Amino acid sequence: MAFPSLVPTSRSFDAGEYPIKNFKSQSGVEIRVLYGSQRTGMKLELSYENITDGQAQAFIDHYDEVNGSYGTFAIPSITKNGWTGASSTLDASGGNAWRYEGAPQITSVKPGRSTVQVQLVGVL
Amino acid sequence: MAKIYTGRDGSLLLDGTTLVKVASWSLQGEMETLESTTLGDDQKTFVPGLQSFSGSASLLYYSDDANRNDASTLLRKIVKTSGVSASDTAELTLRLSDGNVNKDMKFTVYITSVSIGASVGEISKADINFQVTGAPTSVTI
Repeated sequence: MAFPSLVPTSRSFDAGEYPIKNFKSQSGVEIRVLYGSQRTGMKLELSYENITDGQAQAFIDHYDEVNGSYGTFAIPSITKNGWTGASSTLDASGGNAWRYEGAPQITSVKPGRSTVQVQLVGVL
Repeated sequence: MAKIYTGRDGSLLLDGTTLVKVASWSLQGEMETLESTTLGDDQKTFVPGLQSFSGSASLLYYSDDANRNDASTLLRKIVKTSGVSASDTAELTLRLSDGNVNKDMKFTVYITSVSIGASVGEISKADINFQVTGAPTSVTI
């Protein structure tokens, strides 16, 4: 089973940071050491509002299938709907490889309708 | 046969019994909408949410020869020495009649506010507001 192919209501992307270590001397001089050539810690927060309970259940089913935050998976291109820049900009540095940061949160809105929040972390 | 309904055709029933001396009734119905717009949409989309109904009625404070006072019955749903409980509902039927054909909307309601007074030279009236709880019991309007 793949990550649910639904267009999110909202999307928040954190591009992450390069692995850098800062050293500061007593005089105030700053030395930075770059340990890698790729950004790490990319985050993608997705919100799916007022979807059917069946669609909400698909997120939990997928979360179980990849063993929570253990497994890595690709997200469908439909997740990036509305983004008119390059699709790769919203990818993890290693390409389309993500894992769950935590369990999806489901809020019941009315009988048959729920809102789901998903937090993903990019994987190198 | 064509018919234009007027106040003469209206009536209000409490627990199935027609209330006397009803000056007016009104009903408002609303439905919440849940936005289902997604990224990439150019227009907003919605799905149905929860419905709610409320209304008002105005009755003359009137006692008939049998000492029946309909306004009093409704007033005492909220004006009482003990607290209002979950069982203090009333079954109201809002009706428009065409001869023997009744067009009804029946609800279970809580009386949420009352207003009554006495002024020199004026008839005492009781104005009530009500909130429907649950779905309409029956609708033939």
